[in-house]
Amino acid sequence: MSRMPPTPEQPDDVDDQYRRASALDPSRPGEAVSRTVLAYAAQLAAERAAAYAGNKLKSRRTASHAWWRPAILGTLAAAGLAGLLIAPQFLAPRAPPVAEPAPTAQAVDSTASESAPPQSAQTPEVTARPPVPVRSANLPTRATHARPKANGATAALPAQPTSVAPPAGSEAAGTGAFVAGAPARELRVPGSPSAVTSIAAAARIGTNPSAALRRAAEVGDLAALEALLEKQTDIDSRDGAGRTALMLATLHGQADAVTALLTHGADPNAADADGTTPLQAATAGDHQTIVAALRRYGAR
Amino acid sequence: MTDGGESDEALIGRYARGDAAAFELLYRRHEMRIWRYLERNVGNRATADELMQEVWFAVARDAVRYEPTARFTTWLFTIARNRMIDSNRMSRRQVSLEAVGYEAESVVAQLTTEPGVGPLAAVVARDQATALTRAIGQLAREQRDAFLLQIEGDLSIEEVATITRSSFETTKSRLRYARNRLRELLSEYA
Repeated sequence: MSRMPPTPEQPDDVDDQYRRASALDPSRPGEAVSRTVLAYAAQLAAERAAAYAGNKLKSRRTASHAWWRPAILGTLAAAGLAGLLIAPQFLAPRAPPVAEPAPTAQAVDSTASESAPPQSAQTPEVTARPPVPVRSANLPTRATHARPKANGATAALPAQPTSVAPPAGSEAAGTGAFVAGAPARELRVPGSPSAVTSIAAAARIGTNPSAALRRAAEVGDLAALEALLEKQTDIDSRDGAGRTALMLATLHGQADAVTALLTHGADPNAADADGTTPLQAATAGDHQTIVAALRRYGAR
Repeated sequence: MTDGGESDEALIGRYARGDAAAFELLYRRHEMRIWRYLERNVGNRATADELMQEVWFAVARDAVRYEPTARFTTWLFTIARNRMIDSNRMSRRQVSLEAVGYEAESVVAQLTTEPGVGPLAAVVARDQATALTRAIGQLAREQRDAFLLQIEGDLSIEEVATITRSSFETTKSRLRYARNRLRELLSEYA
């Protein structure tokens, strides 16, 4: 060992001494610590691998489902715009040539000939408007909330949910069947002696009560939600991504559905497979009403 | 830190997607750094073991939330420091190495000769370690924390400042005082 005291001119002398001493220091964390940590991590990894695979499927389905509305709105806007542009051309030849040109017809003609600038001036106002953002897109979890750009192709396909087949036997399969539009038939809700005969009710409830409950919560269908809750459907059942009805209602900003679920005893702290709690989801989505409701029921 | 392999950020990303082997690589890579940071700060091996476990549990649990806006080591040492502070608060133990009986002697007593190192070199190493461990134990808490963060985490002054929620200048001063004090103490022991 150098017995010379380090001088201030040597900026790394202390660091070097520290590193040398540390390299020879045999003290280590206990073996039990390493074993416990690695076992815990491996267990989480296994759960995560399964959830990740499920989430990829689910996010594809959710994304394609969530973006059909902007796609339809965009199509309608384009159709409307085309109508505005084309209609004057059809109207102009039909103007009666015999009669004294009415001032309104002239006005139409002049509008037709000069319409391009004003209409094109209006066009950006209509088409430049960005698609209505889906509220859940604000959430931090990446797997369950795909971004619009990444799903641009599927966004144009509103019927896409039917093409993604969830794993057979899973609850997601029930959801998929519901989304695809289960054939209208008489359905019996477990625990209920009465048959659900209304086509609308059958469509709402679907073949899997738990999946139907989550679906009702997601879209804010309070009538179906109440009906299912009265049938004692498992209120905290989870989908493939570990999301409860309460979580789905939260993600989609369905404040009334959230309140109904909480009133019926839904677990306000049931986290999804990623560990995101309803309160975190509501906060991320800036759903203040839902945040307040969740807090009232003890969400953390 | 890459040590020639995959980056920490890539490994934590792989683990977040369910690859347990990636976590083990990360753990082995940073195990000793975190251990020394904790053990030399709290001065108690049992507490350091507990904290070590909690830190890595948190890493495993929160891997899915890690966003590579900061280096993995910054994130890791932030967790370690927060756990240490929480532990101190909960147990109402103020970390005073002198008060709790710093284990420097017992740690140093366990220093063994590595294969290929002669007896004289072992004595020299033990002397160095004794002096250094004692000196670290005598630093002011903030100075010791900043110094250990920087040297064990390979962190920049900015990163240490971020983790300790201090200003750049304050952190720089703490690091300078820590090193100067260590020099003084080491020269006394020499």
